[in-house]
Amino acid sequence: MKKRERKLIFLEGWKALAGLTLILAAISLPGVELAASPEVKPTYALVNCRIFPVSGPAIEKGTIVVRDGLIEAIGPAGKIKIPEDAEVIEASGLTAYPGLISAHTNLFLEVKQQEQPQTPAEFLSALSQPSEPQQFPDFLVLKELKPKKQTIESWHKTGFTTVVVAPSRGIFQGQSVILNLNGEQLNQMVIRQPWALHINFTTERGIYPSSLMGTVAFIRQKFYDTLHYDLHRKKYSASPLFLKRPEYDPFLEALIPFVVEKKPVVFQCNNQEDIKRALRLIEEFKLNGILAGCNEAWRVVEHLNRAKVPLLVTVDFRPPSVNIYNQQGEAVRKKAEAEIYPANPAVLLKENIHFALTGFGLSESSFLKNIQAAIRAGLPAEAAMKALTADSARILGLEKQLGTLEPGKIANLILTRGDLFAEKTRVVKVIVDGILFNYEEKSQ
Amino acid sequence: MFMRKLFSLNKFRILVLWTAAVLCAGFSWLFAGSLQSENGKIMASGEEKPGVLAIINVKIVPVVGPEINSGTIIVEKDRIKAVGSNLELPAGAKVIDGQGLTAYPGMIDGFSSLGLVEISGVAATVDNRETGRINPQVKAIEALKYDSMHIPIARSNGIVAAVVASSGGLISGQSTLVKLDGWTNREMVIKESLAMVVELPGIRGARRGFMGTGAGEAAVTTERALAELRELFNRSRMYEKRRLAAARNLLLPPPDFDETSHYLLPVVKGELPVIFSVHADKDIVQVIKFVQEEKVKAIFYQVEQGFKVAEEISRAGIPCIIGSLYDLPPVWEDGYDSLYINPGILNKAGVKIAFSSSSASAAKDLPYHAAKAVAFGLDRNEALKAVTIYPAEIFGVDKILGSLEPGKLANIVLADGDLLELGTRIHRVFIEGREVDLSNRYTELLDKFRKREQKR
Amino acid sequence: MRKNFLKTFLIPILSLIFLAPVNSLLAAGNLLIKNAIVMPVTAPPIYGADVLIINGIIKQIGPNLTPPPGTRVINASGKYLIPGIIDTHTHLGLSGTNEGTDAITPEVDMADVINPDDPAIFTALTGGVTMVHTMHGSANVIGGRNVVLKLKWGQPSEKMVVKEAWPTLKFALGENVKQSNRTLLPGRPQRYPATRMGANAIIRRELLRAREYMAAWERYEKLKNSKNPPRGLLPPKKDLRLETLADLLRGKLYARCHAYVATEMVEFLRLAREFGFKIAAFEHAWEAYKITDELLEAGVGISVFIDSWAYKMEAAEGIAYNAAYCTQRGILVSINSDSSERVRRLFNEAGKAVKYGLTPDEALKMITINAAKQLGVDHLVGSIEVGKQADLALFENHPMSAYTRCEMTIIEGDVYFDRQQILKEREEAAARKGGY
Repeated sequence: MKKRERKLIFLEGWKALAGLTLILAAISLPGVELAASPEVKPTYALVNCRIFPVSGPAIEKGTIVVRDGLIEAIGPAGKIKIPEDAEVIEASGLTAYPGLISAHTNLFLEVKQQEQPQTPAEFLSALSQPSEPQQFPDFLVLKELKPKKQTIESWHKTGFTTVVVAPSRGIFQGQSVILNLNGEQLNQMVIRQPWALHINFTTERGIYPSSLMGTVAFIRQKFYDTLHYDLHRKKYSASPLFLKRPEYDPFLEALIPFVVEKKPVVFQCNNQEDIKRALRLIEEFKLNGILAGCNEAWRVVEHLNRAKVPLLVTVDFRPPSVNIYNQQGEAVRKKAEAEIYPANPAVLLKENIHFALTGFGLSESSFLKNIQAAIRAGLPAEAAMKALTADSARILGLEKQLGTLEPGKIANLILTRGDLFAEKTRVVKVIVDGILFNYEEKSQ
Repeated sequence: MFMRKLFSLNKFRILVLWTAAVLCAGFSWLFAGSLQSENGKIMASGEEKPGVLAIINVKIVPVVGPEINSGTIIVEKDRIKAVGSNLELPAGAKVIDGQGLTAYPGMIDGFSSLGLVEISGVAATVDNRETGRINPQVKAIEALKYDSMHIPIARSNGIVAAVVASSGGLISGQSTLVKLDGWTNREMVIKESLAMVVELPGIRGARRGFMGTGAGEAAVTTERALAELRELFNRSRMYEKRRLAAARNLLLPPPDFDETSHYLLPVVKGELPVIFSVHADKDIVQVIKFVQEEKVKAIFYQVEQGFKVAEEISRAGIPCIIGSLYDLPPVWEDGYDSLYINPGILNKAGVKIAFSSSSASAAKDLPYHAAKAVAFGLDRNEALKAVTIYPAEIFGVDKILGSLEPGKLANIVLADGDLLELGTRIHRVFIEGREVDLSNRYTELLDKFRKREQKR
Repeated sequence: MRKNFLKTFLIPILSLIFLAPVNSLLAAGNLLIKNAIVMPVTAPPIYGADVLIINGIIKQIGPNLTPPPGTRVINASGKYLIPGIIDTHTHLGLSGTNEGTDAITPEVDMADVINPDDPAIFTALTGGVTMVHTMHGSANVIGGRNVVLKLKWGQPSEKMVVKEAWPTLKFALGENVKQSNRTLLPGRPQRYPATRMGANAIIRRELLRAREYMAAWERYEKLKNSKNPPRGLLPPKKDLRLETLADLLRGKLYARCHAYVATEMVEFLRLAREFGFKIAAFEHAWEAYKITDELLEAGVGISVFIDSWAYKMEAAEGIAYNAAYCTQRGILVSINSDSSERVRRLFNEAGKAVKYGLTPDEALKMITINAAKQLGVDHLVGSIEVGKQADLALFENHPMSAYTRCEMTIIEGDVYFDRQQILKEREEAAARKGGY
């Protein structure tokens, strides 16, 4: 995997240029819808269900018509005509919600763990070899994904129909993709490719930058280099006379869409200081910035209020490692995790800070548990719902396609028995891009 | 009037004595110039035969017994002959006027690496840590650098004796008790084989101190370490049993020589004490049980969480050498001042405590550790005892060391203030009746470079 | 139910962590300290004076002052009030120490990695320390920019930064940058520099490069503003590494140079003259006593240990008289800790200087006003004077006595450490548990 990534950087010029043109072409067509498979999909009419469209008030008894992957009609029973070609799904006792969006995951991403040295000799040689750099702004996460049916099922059962898959290694981690969990055919799943550049305040081992301050300096220098590179390139293409040809740099090429053209840049923020670091960079370079992680956002609301940068807030409530709660012994740490951090989303809501919720860093089961904890700590369930649907869609720039149940939008919806986020609630049916997945327990 | 007369008489005596001394010195230089040390310090050791010495007009803090505001200490050869307020001066005594000074017994460092570590970062000068984990055979005395630059510095701060110990591994080796004076390592010995040093694991979950040198997370548990010790002790007992049997009965083959068992024998027989470095409260309780079951003579060392089990330690009658207070609390929950309040709490519970520098280059700071504990609740007199008579008692040398009492070795420090106070200067130090040189690396280098200033 | 939960868990926890703000809600920078032995440091001690603080500033010093209503009053009878202790060389409150991969990394800035949750901040407060110069490490010849913090435990990082302090850049010489005490791993080449010669050569090389960089920008600006700018004129590449060094050459930054032996200090002074940059102080400077004339001539002070020595070859001639002797010779001396442990007993370290020839007053200056001068903040802090910021520490006994203990630490009129409060909470916690 590593070798492959290295290859990406060291591709001979023309090859990379060709690749880049393709990427640029993809970028210049936002929200490109890949051709649906030729098979004929059924039209569905979900009848007699309770509907939470998120975009408006709940409908106690309603009908939803889904055709060709889109919501055709939605409304109270009786007001919506059931098309004659529709397969009617009796959904009384069920509640329909927009499919949940997890705006930050590492789903399907197979990361090979660095092999741990087993013998002292291996250990020494591992130490004496400087680690290879893990910075690949041109790394496309899409190329490393291997969707698995089981994973998709388990995410469906948690209520998710859409995910952002972000890269997970290095400082300049690479570029993420937005997927609909509609099957295992990657191309059919893509909603937006690439979506954002992901940056993490981590360090290299044994090579520059090996410290956090080195990392900040490194990021700033690369941004400045990109601006200069872009200026040079533009000047050269305007008139090459008496101007030295800019030396091709794939690293900087990959950064241009984000630094110059202001495509979204997501900063992973593992603690309050990461948030401030990211905000400083966003301001210095006028980036289209988004902050991810942010379980300490509650400590920096003033900054966030000023910056007006959207957040992808994880409901992982473990205090960050540098945090004081982590330094005062196990009892204090546990208390903080159970009683302080779950209030983060409620605080953000109160402060009118624009955020989506994610389960980044958590398993599906703890995700639900933690959402419940956040609700107990003061976040209204409707707000949690919104943060996982409409708000997420808006931050992803997909508010016209996703996030609410409205006619014309992508047919991503879930049917539950019981209120979403309640303890015993089960997701029994999931529709993604109009494709139906049944999870009704057979025994019942 | 009378006083003045006495004073002038003394002055005269001093003059006579000094003239004699100078003549003698000159004589010996003429005939035995080679005896003189390289840097010209004939006072440092050895040759001068101690005679009769009287320190007069001095405030005396004998540590054992009441203070004397202005008194006399009479020294004969290497011993204190008398201490009192109205003593008659013996004829021919060398008289030292202690006006403005306070006499204390010299301090004893409860645990140090003096003479084993010169420059800690330069491996060639470090001799306190053998490789391997089980090293009962190594003896600190056999590596002791008698002319370490740290020894005169410690001495000039009023420290006259120190436990010198190795560290590292599970069984670190045999420590020794030395006086801080002597022309060879052997000349310094007070008690050659003082105690076996055993290092037990640190505190679980402890944070690492400055530059990661703190106690840190323990790699093995105390249970495991004690089990290993028990096995070694049993092996030593078995070894001895077989050896004795073989000696009695030619038909029984003696066991093969086993170095570890051989050197652990004095320990399992209860002849040689063990200095256990112990840390966490729960571990301390375990070690107490172990010590009682194995019938080992134990001394605890470091004892960071001792304050949580002070009653238990007191009941077990195990004395504690406090580790360096120049450290952070091992865990936050103990409170920022846990190391500082620890000696006071142990002392109040009836535990016999002694302070230690746990260092070579900072051995001179021994009194400051004691003072720090006073700032956080330890009784002032107890602190003084914990650098003098208590370590003497703990190491079984209180008959000769630790206080200014007749019959004890004349280890006397003349200070211009409180012995434990930072600004106090030590004016004169006597070890076994001989005045020792207080110049040291600090003063020598200062003098050398002061000359540059004076030349201008 | 929820209220109960708040009461039993959240509030105690929050108040434990953010003790300061909770405590100071009442006062908010207003405080009256009654009847203390005030040691202004820049003036003789005043026995039994009151100190009135309004909005974090010392308003009045004198007997029997009356505070505005609602002001918290602290009875300090018999206790010693001193300026908050300033430590001119630490690495605390940071998420990182060394960018040690390259021999020079002036592009890094410690202000980027402040960690307000570092427990060492609290540790330092317990020893009366209110301000620290927290620095890049000494792994390389030119480290990074340092930052001065006030130890406002529980406050956000930006409220800790002292913007008025001199901006400083860390240099390091000798064994650390030569990596002479490091075991070389097999197969890894030794880093340049491996000698003191190399270290100096690197500094000179980088400063020459910085000069070229400044010239390139100057040329660009001139051409850009000329009547006929040449075709294809491009600005030079912005280089953060050289930007920092250019700032040093422009006099906007001060060097703080880690140096032990006399030769490297003498040579660094020459470099400073050669390139015309300013030195705020030498760090450690164990052999300063050998070159007092040179230091006096250059007007460069030292930030040193009192007696931590002999841990490596270059510290083997570090004598405990260094600080006292250099002070007596007229050099500006501060005592630093360079340690998240020693920082809490910096007053003891300064107190040791009395043994080596200073008066207690002179010794106390080394961790207050002298330190403030070396950081360029002596107009704000470092002494107890009307108009200065109320950064103060209250001690049980004379601060230069071995028997003393810090009782309270105050920054800008807010109490950030209060031993009695901690003891009270400890007792309450013990009572909740049903005693020990």
